[in-house]
Amino acid sequence: MNAKENGSALLGALLAAGMLCCASAQATEPAVDVQPQFESYGDTKVIAVEPIRDMFSHKSHVVIAGLSCDSCHPDIFERKRGAAKANGDYNMASLEEGMYCGACHDGDMAFNTTGPETCKVCHGSDMKQPDEVIFNVPVKTVIFNHKEHVEMGLDCSSCHDQAFEMRVGAAEEQPEKFTMQALYDGKYCGLCHNGSDAFASDTRCTTCHIGVSGFERRFVSEAEEDEHGH
Amino acid sequence: MNINELEKLNNEGVEHLPSLERRTFLRAGLAITGLFMGGTILSLTSARNAQSAMGPLPTKEQYPYSPHYSMVMRQNLCIDCERCMEACVKTNHVPEYGYRTIILERTRDIAPKEKETIFMPVLCNQCNEPPCVRVCPTVATYKDKTTGIVMMDSKKCIGCKTCMAACPYNARYFNEEIRAVDKCNFCFDTRLSKGMKDTACVEACPAHVRVFGDLSDPESEVYQLIHKPETTVWVLRPETGALPNVFYMNA
Repeated sequence: MNAKENGSALLGALLAAGMLCCASAQATEPAVDVQPQFESYGDTKVIAVEPIRDMFSHKSHVVIAGLSCDSCHPDIFERKRGAAKANGDYNMASLEEGMYCGACHDGDMAFNTTGPETCKVCHGSDMKQPDEVIFNVPVKTVIFNHKEHVEMGLDCSSCHDQAFEMRVGAAEEQPEKFTMQALYDGKYCGLCHNGSDAFASDTRCTTCHIGVSGFERRFVSEAEEDEHGH
Repeated sequence: MNINELEKLNNEGVEHLPSLERRTFLRAGLAITGLFMGGTILSLTSARNAQSAMGPLPTKEQYPYSPHYSMVMRQNLCIDCERCMEACVKTNHVPEYGYRTIILERTRDIAPKEKETIFMPVLCNQCNEPPCVRVCPTVATYKDKTTGIVMMDSKKCIGCKTCMAACPYNARYFNEEIRAVDKCNFCFDTRLSKGMKDTACVEACPAHVRVFGDLSDPESEVYQLIHKPETTVWVLRPETGALPNVFYMNA
C-alpha cells in the first residue's frame, strides 16, 4: 500500500464518518420539537403546574447555597406540592411583603423580587411575552399592545401583578370587575391611563377598542391569507 | 297612461324634491343655456332646501309625528363591539346574509403619522321625506302616520328592489325567506308595540351610543340632546333632502 492509496482510504473513512454524522444529526432533529413547550401565558404552568422544575431550583438552594431544610420548611413553605398556591395569596404582591420567597428575596439577603432584571431569573426562558393581547370579555375586541408597552421601558412589575395578573384570561375571568368604571377608578389600564401618566381611559376609545371590523381586518384576514398561502 | 290622464294628476310640486335632484336639474338647464357657474349653484336653490341640507332642525314649528320616533348616535362612544347587531338579529329574526343595522368604520388623520378610527352605526333613518317610499310602485313601504316609522308591508312587496336603490343609507336588504325587502322599523312589531320603550339595539349597547325616543316631547332625552346649545349635531347625507330622523353627535 503506497502513500496515495493510504490517502484515499483516509478520505473515504472521513467521508463515511461525515455522512454518519449528518445522518445522526438528521435523525435527532425532530426529537427537539417533541420537548414540552412551556407557555407561561398559555396557562398557569409557571406558577402552578411545574413550579419546581420551571421556576424554582431546589437544588441550587440546598446544595449551592447550603440551606438547611428548616430554613424554609414548614414556616415559609408547607411540605406539600401546591400548598402555597392553594393559600390564594402566592403572588408577587405577597412576595414583596416578605412572604414565601420574599422572606429571603428582599434585595438584601438574596436578589429582590421586584426589580426589572430579576423577573427572568425565576420566570425564565419559558416565559413568552405576547406581542398583542386581545380581550373579548366583557366587550369584544379590545387590543393591548404588550410589545409597545415593554419597548417604551416599562418593567414587568409596572403592571404585574398590580394592574394585571400575569396569566392569560385572568382579567376576563371577572367581567363584572373588568369594566371602564374600574379603569376610571385607577384599576387595570387605569393605573397609568388616568390622563396624567398616559391618555385618560375615557378618551380615544377606538385606540384600544378596535372593533369587530378592526379585529377581522387585522387578524382574521391575515390568518386566511396564511391558509391560502400554504 | 295618455297625456289627458297625466294632466288630470295632482301636481307633486317641487317642495318635496330632494335638493340634490333640484340642483342636478338646475345644473343641467344652466349648462344647456351656457350659464353654468360652478359652485354658485346652491344659491339658486330655495332657502328651505338649503337649510335642510345644512342641519336637522325642523323647518316647521313642530315635529310632524307624535310620538316622533328618533334616534341619536353619540358616535365617538361607539366601539364596534356589535352587540347591537347581535341583539337586532336575534330580536327581528334577521337572516345571516341580511342586516337591519351595521357599523361602518373609517379612519381619519389627526396628526402626521397619527390616525384615529371612527365607528359609525347606521340603520334606517326613518326619513320624513323617504326616497324609498317615493319610489315603491306597490305602496309596500310607507310612512306610518302616527309614529313616522318607515314600515314594510311584506305582502305587498313584489321584490323589485327599487327602494334598495333609492335608499341613501343602504338600509334595506332582500329577505329570501319572506320574498320581500326587509328593514329596520325601530323594533315596532317586536318591542314598541308590546309596550317596551327602547329598541333592541339601544338596550344592547354597552356604551350608551344609541339614544332612542320621542322627538316631539321636549322632555325626552333625544330632544334634549339634539337641542343642546353648543353642540354639533349632524345627519348622514343631508344633500338628499330626505330629512332623516337619525342624528349624530359626539358625546
